[in-house]
Amino acid sequence: MTTINTARAQFYRLLSSLFAKEVDSALTAELLSEKGQGFLQHLASEAAFAQAIEQINAQLNALKTEQDILVLSADFCGLFLVGGKHSASPYAGHYMEPEQSVLFGRYHQKMQQVLSSNELALHANFPEPADHIAVILAYTAHLCTQADTQEQLSFINDFLSSWINDFSAQVSSHDAGGFYRAVAALSAAWVRYDLECLSEAS
Amino acid sequence: MKRRDFLKGMIATSFTAISAASVLTPLSVLAKMGAKKQDDWLTTGTHFGAFKIKRKNGVIDQVKPFDLDKYPTDMINGIKGLVYNPSRVRYPMVRLDFLLKGHQSDTSQRGDFRFVRVTWDQALNLFKNSLDEVQTKYGPSGLHAGQTGWRATGQLHSSTSHMQRAVGMHGNFVKKIGDYSTGAGQTILPYILGSTEVYAQGTSWSLILDNAKTIILWANDPYKNLQVGWNAETHESFEYLAQLKEKVQQGKIRVISIDPVASKTQNYLDCEKIYINPQTDVALMLAIAHELYTNDLHDKAFIEGYSLGFDRFVPYLTGETDGIEKTAQWAEKITAVPVDVIKALAKTMVAGRTQMLMGWCIQRQQHGEQPYWMAAVLATMVGQIGLPGGGISYGHHYSSIGVPSSGAAAPGAFPRNLDEGQKPIFDSEDFKGASSTIPVARWIDAILEPGKVIDANGAKITYPEIKMMIFSGNNPWNHHQDRNRMKKAFQKLECVVTIDMNWTATCRFSDIVLPACTTLERNDIDIYGSYANRGLLAMQKMVEPLFDSLSDFEIFTRFARILGKEKEYTRGMTELEWLKTLYDDCRSANSEKFPMPEFEQFWRDGYVHFGEGEPWTRHADFRADPEINPLGTPSGMIEIFSRKIDRYQYDDCKGHPAWMEKTERSHGGPGSDKYPVWLQSCHPDKRLHSQMCESETFRKTYTVSDREPVYLNPSDAKRRGIKDGDIVRVYNDRGQLLAGAVLSDNYPKGVIRIEEGAWYGPVGEDGSKAGGAKIGAICSYGDPNTLTLDIGTSKLAQACSAYTCLVDFEKYRGAIPKVSSFSGPIEVSI
Repeated sequence: MTTINTARAQFYRLLSSLFAKEVDSALTAELLSEKGQGFLQHLASEAAFAQAIEQINAQLNALKTEQDILVLSADFCGLFLVGGKHSASPYAGHYMEPEQSVLFGRYHQKMQQVLSSNELALHANFPEPADHIAVILAYTAHLCTQADTQEQLSFINDFLSSWINDFSAQVSSHDAGGFYRAVAALSAAWVRYDLECLSEAS
Repeated sequence: MKRRDFLKGMIATSFTAISAASVLTPLSVLAKMGAKKQDDWLTTGTHFGAFKIKRKNGVIDQVKPFDLDKYPTDMINGIKGLVYNPSRVRYPMVRLDFLLKGHQSDTSQRGDFRFVRVTWDQALNLFKNSLDEVQTKYGPSGLHAGQTGWRATGQLHSSTSHMQRAVGMHGNFVKKIGDYSTGAGQTILPYILGSTEVYAQGTSWSLILDNAKTIILWANDPYKNLQVGWNAETHESFEYLAQLKEKVQQGKIRVISIDPVASKTQNYLDCEKIYINPQTDVALMLAIAHELYTNDLHDKAFIEGYSLGFDRFVPYLTGETDGIEKTAQWAEKITAVPVDVIKALAKTMVAGRTQMLMGWCIQRQQHGEQPYWMAAVLATMVGQIGLPGGGISYGHHYSSIGVPSSGAAAPGAFPRNLDEGQKPIFDSEDFKGASSTIPVARWIDAILEPGKVIDANGAKITYPEIKMMIFSGNNPWNHHQDRNRMKKAFQKLECVVTIDMNWTATCRFSDIVLPACTTLERNDIDIYGSYANRGLLAMQKMVEPLFDSLSDFEIFTRFARILGKEKEYTRGMTELEWLKTLYDDCRSANSEKFPMPEFEQFWRDGYVHFGEGEPWTRHADFRADPEINPLGTPSGMIEIFSRKIDRYQYDDCKGHPAWMEKTERSHGGPGSDKYPVWLQSCHPDKRLHSQMCESETFRKTYTVSDREPVYLNPSDAKRRGIKDGDIVRVYNDRGQLLAGAVLSDNYPKGVIRIEEGAWYGPVGEDGSKAGGAKIGAICSYGDPNTLTLDIGTSKLAQACSAYTCLVDFEKYRGAIPKVSSFSGPIEVSI
């Protein structure tokens, strides 16, 4: 089933990129393009994703000016680029070990280990701890086409599904704008869905 | 939809967004080859201590004290948190409305609002554009870039120096005089003793321990305050405090602590205590002087030979001038110190060698000049100034003052000013009739009342019309008073730029925030032992700057590049070259007496030790020969009466020290009927001012119910139905805050303590962070400067008066808001 794995990888990578940095006009255009909409609409056909996709599309369509993009960037900044447990921390460590209120803690080290033993590293232009959700999603994408079902299940259970619901809830309670609330909800729903598929397959 | 069909559809419709960010990359060949060698211990130094640190997998792992620090403090447990706390500023950021509207932004939004990440290039260009705008429209008086703070240690990466040199290459700006630590003291003491005294080396501890019969700790808590130091701190003084403790136990030295509260030092030494009503110390000093004078116990020969103006002071003492004789009975009513205690204290001071050690907080009140002046007069009357273990010191609680200086030359620093021959792009020096330098604590006044003329230290200061401010490595939203007044002032500023490591309240009230890296993320050098100058420490970079933060050197090199002045700024030298140059210059200066190895060797060793200094007595040379070694006063002598100050004709700082009632004072003073409690906001026990408050794990060791502790007298608390751990609302007309109750017998009735440096976290009535921008919003964490008074000490120093502060408190019964101080700028919650 190589093509489904490629498709899964592409979706994980897309989600990763949405948490990795602010949405710009180029990405907006791609997502609103025919190809982009084709994909998003298909996702919306699945009940678990419908509401989130509707929200995301509504938000994307509302991005008319540079100012709109900046307002969305301010949302991104306040959620993911500052603070810790009081904003929507994007780091696995904050959810897996909440008493450890540090950055670059144990989960960062664990992820670093995982990455380097698979001959991967963080991009120089992404100077973040390795337990950032964008990294974990990107690595999951990598596993889709490089690892067997068992290994994928193992990683997703250890590093993603165990905290993404809490993360989504955190984004939900802090995002006034609505876009990232929807992206986080979509991500959590997709991980759930994908886990079920993988479990069936294994 | 059935899963199979859905997945089929995914294959059909799947796409890759070309512009989407990618965060992973193959591990580089070099990185693959990089040997996982065992990390060695590296050295560095901070205000909190000098340390050896080991990394693991590129992250700071273990921290232990530097070998030569025999008295490390528990702040070592907060060091990792300095680097890895979630409040780090990670990327350059700009307030959204400022990004959209520039100098026309809605400034009432400042303080709790939305930021957008930008690149360094964008941030620095916006910064430069704002400077262009302000210099063009308003000239140099429109820009205040002169505030300073404790920054981080290091001679190369001194944050103030880098900012002021670089900004100075763009244009001139308003600067400050004085500081918040010793504003009143450093201004008055040159008139009296001829030097600022507060930052001067003092009589060596060994001489005090060998010669003093009595030590008076006057509003002084050295055991608490010596935990931190200006340079890489190696806690040299604690050895002597331990010896002092032993001598006290053996009955060899009497230590008398004059203080409203039972201080940490007092409890450590288990010494004697005299309770005194807050803010009334001058009355006690006058009564002691009166006792000495009327009983003929004062040292007439010393007064005659070494001072000026005693004869003009005596009529005030006896009541001839104002009809009030400054007797022990008179003082007892004001101070609550019993008459017999006053008389006994006077006798004790002249019965044997007496060392007076003044703390700094006592001059951080209205008329703060007076206690320092009057204490000097007392010391003069006792007549032991210049004798080992006698006389008066104003700094033994600070940075190893009292530990003999090795005598070595300390390294120079990165220059703060332009080099000779260099001129700024905007070289106007026309401040439009306003002063180019203002007293450090009067900047909010200036913003609120531009053009106003005030008296300051014999001169007239005209407040400039400030439109833009730059803060680098200092946190005025910690150290200044009256937060709500500050909010009003900030609305008048067009642009605020802050360079810092953490999202302090100052960052949150800014428009452009630039991330600096911490001490542990850059290479530098500094002395250790502070005033003892015991040696030079290699401050070795432990980890690369986190996220997108940069060293101050790098930030302002890039800024200078935008100005086209990079080479001027750096003198063509890299960071490493600067480090070597500063080291080599120091090595040259020390070549005769303190041989130092080559830089590479020094860096490998981690330090070079200069050794111990010789014991020394302050003012001994003056005492030996006042004509050859005069003091720096106009007369060369101790000025009990200052003709210079007298000529100023200030109603709040006269020609001789005087007791003056405060605008608000507890225990029967003005305002105490409405707000009966004195708020003491002294230097913290577990921080350096606001530094290390962000270290969350360490902060948890002292917070109460997540908040800054408020120390309460048990019976005051009981009367208000407050128990340990309760959340307490502390308030007055200026503001309100929430803090966590700690009941303790160390605190007398009518006194509470909240240590300064507690991060400001205003929230709305609904607990929302957005509501915190409003004037009057309650501070969710417990910042005492939400409540303090913003007035100058007097027309002389115009310094910080934080200790003149009355409040009341109650058990808080409302919905308890989350603490908002540590989470960076806040987005609107739904």
